Amino acid sequence: MIDRAVRSLTVGMRRGLVPGLTVTTLLLITVAVNALLAPNFFSSYSVISNFSSFVPLVAASIAQTIVVLGGGIDLSLGALITLSSVMSVVLMEGDPGRLPLAVAVAIGVGAAGGLLNGLIVAFLRLQPIVATFAMSFVFAGITLKVLPQPGGQVPAVMTTTYRDSVIGIPVAALVIAGLYGLWWVVKRSTLGRHLYAVGGDERAAYASGVRVNQVRVMSYVLGGTFGGVAALAILANTGSGDPYVGAAVGTALIGGQTTLASIAAVVIGGTALRGGVGGAGGSIGGAVILALVSNIVFFAGISGGYRQLINGAIVIAALALTAVPAFRRSPA
Amino acid sequence: MPFLEMRDVHKRFGGVVALDGASLSAEPGELHALLGANGSGKSTLNKTLTGVVAADRAEVLLDGQPVTLRGPREAQARGISAVYQELSLVPDLSVEDNVALGVEPARFGFVDRREQRRTVRGVVERFGSAFEGRLPLDTPVAGLPPGEQQIVEICKAVARDPRILVLDEATASLHEAQVRALFEALRDLKDRGVLVIFTSHRLEEVFELCDRATVLRSGATVGTVELAAADQAEVVRMMLGRSIDRIERDRTEAPEARRVVLEVRGLITDRLRDVSFTVETGEVLGVAGLQGQGQDELLEALFGAARISSGEVRLDGKPIHPRSPRQAVRERIALIPGERAREGLFSRRPILENLTLASVGRRALPGGLLRGARERRAAGDAVRRLQIKLGRLLDPVLTLSGGNQQKVVVGRWLLTEPRVILMDDPTKGIDVGAKEELYSSMRRLADEGVAIVFHSSENLELVRLCGRVLVLFEGRVVQVLEGDQVTEDRLLEASVGVDQVPG
Repeated sequence: MIDRAVRSLTVGMRRGLVPGLTVTTLLLITVAVNALLAPNFFSSYSVISNFSSFVPLVAASIAQTIVVLGGGIDLSLGALITLSSVMSVVLMEGDPGRLPLAVAVAIGVGAAGGLLNGLIVAFLRLQPIVATFAMSFVFAGITLKVLPQPGGQVPAVMTTTYRDSVIGIPVAALVIAGLYGLWWVVKRSTLGRHLYAVGGDERAAYASGVRVNQVRVMSYVLGGTFGGVAALAILANTGSGDPYVGAAVGTALIGGQTTLASIAAVVIGGTALRGGVGGAGGSIGGAVILALVSNIVFFAGISGGYRQLINGAIVIAALALTAVPAFRRSPA
Repeated sequence: MPFLEMRDVHKRFGGVVALDGASLSAEPGELHALLGANGSGKSTLNKTLTGVVAADRAEVLLDGQPVTLRGPREAQARGISAVYQELSLVPDLSVEDNVALGVEPARFGFVDRREQRRTVRGVVERFGSAFEGRLPLDTPVAGLPPGEQQIVEICKAVARDPRILVLDEATASLHEAQVRALFEALRDLKDRGVLVIFTSHRLEEVFELCDRATVLRSGATVGTVELAAADQAEVVRMMLGRSIDRIERDRTEAPEARRVVLEVRGLITDRLRDVSFTVETGEVLGVAGLQGQGQDELLEALFGAARISSGEVRLDGKPIHPRSPRQAVRERIALIPGERAREGLFSRRPILENLTLASVGRRALPGGLLRGARERRAAGDAVRRLQIKLGRLLDPVLTLSGGNQQKVVVGRWLLTEPRVILMDDPTKGIDVGAKEELYSSMRRLADEGVAIVFHSSENLELVRLCGRVLVLFEGRVVQVLEGDQVTEDRLLEASVGVDQVPG
């Protein structure tokens, strides 16, 4: 009986249905520490505000998961998200009537940027790590051209709806649920299956008749699309545009912090950086954990520079954790 | 009009001719074997048919219609699917997902999981007895033993509902019950009108399973035989061709006072089963067999690069436990790999550096400082002993011919002053002249008293150089041929597991 339950649990974990034990444990710890440090942590204001701050990174981490699962990595993700957000906000000019257009632009810019990355990686055969890093500067350059200084106005309806709640559930939480639903759709599609295959063993996938290049391109396109959603969440959360949102404090590396956090969330969530194993469920957990940790760092009154240091250290710790045999998901 | 016809298939890989006018003709509902010795072109012909290798020139007709096959996808679209020697499974995906990979039943872009399970289960159930009764559909393939992985690979090919199924050494990692299950499934496919092209190094299996066999030799088709009317000896003779009566031998004469240098007893590794032998000073001991019977693993185990689970290795009577190449080098054992070796050369760096690399620590001053004169002397010594033809020691290695580059690799290990040199098919892919040069270097080393264990995929080479040859079959030494017994016929017979060919 127990044996059976354990087996189905591990099968579930493998398939990314149940976030891994590590994620669950870390999530409980960070929630507990947050609750201790902020006595009003469970107040409805605080819950809404927290969930609102989770969404951008959650969307970014799903984006990164999809790319990583397919055997790639996207170091331009943060810059692309920033670019999507500034393009969108510049078009809106606070006019609610332009909201549908702005949403389409944010998603479209994300998808187009992803397409560009995918084509470069799949057809020019450049190393994803270098190609996307270079692309991050391209996206950053365009961002600063479009919106050199923080500015732009998001229509009030967007920000208020975002911070609203429906029958007691914050809209932001529903957005996260919706994003997970979208991921589930991707996972269940033929493309999703091929994503795991290409990331798991490219040659085997090719020999099985999978269109490897097409799958790789699509992984970046999907990643960019989720990035577009992240961009909209940033706008809804902050109410205006900012080319330096998600940049590392004190640096001009546009979106750098977002990129690093998205990779950290993927790693904490148990997706293997070599590709082919894991899922977005864990990454969502990882994103929430990272957001809660930065809350803790904030409550503890640690200054900006040290916050960078701690963020970096967390990523290294998360990577190191995956090397501990007990935390590995599959035997080598 | 035959169902499948391949005519005049030519393929070269660089300077090596793999196929030189091979042909094959087969009918639906036939179990057709493809036979030949090492390097006869079986695998290349298979891969031409499955679109993995693009032939230089070929005519392929299906149902009398000429077809071109670019890539495995196109071959699959024409109903040709294959089980390759190298597995094409994605380790992290489940058995079910692997079997369905690339042909998932889909509705509106979504995998129809119920339909997928139904079809995959239908295929895997046919091989039920190969999985010890259970159906591991949800297990990731990485968690299955090699034999079961191989069966999954076969299920995958069968699930594509092929008209032609190509099996290249698909039984190599299967145990008896699995082979039974496979044969049953293949006969079933035959009854449904599928053409199965079957390659196996186990001749008995071929005779048991197949209707006809096409025999290849040196990249060309020798003939096609009805197996029911043929015997094994006849087929072996076709594989071998006219036997060579006398060939020049340059085996080393036994020097006075030979003594055993290396003694191996009961060696067991993942792929070796109870291997025992000895090598003496000045001896060139041959290691023969069809490809992949454990030859590589034997050399790697002695060099500390493959795990030894039990058995004893003695060097000059003293037990040694080679656990890493570094340790083996310290015991003065050297491994000279074949084609990979030349890749291991630093082609733009000077010959001198390439020669001295492995032994540089022995000559350095404390603290690691090198003394130029000693380095030059050492390199010069290797050049002399191996008669490497070069311009200057400081020229880059890439200025040398292929054979001389290979000698640089030998020289690199020679400078570690080895007592035993293990050679893993060192002449593969080098031209005839270069081979001759390497043979004379080997002879000279043996005369100096070095013991050489020489694995070669070319039996003729073994006949020329070795006074004694171990023949491996599925990880066991099935025969040890000595002196006049070392002939091409005997080597091939022993390799395919035939005891004696009469007449």
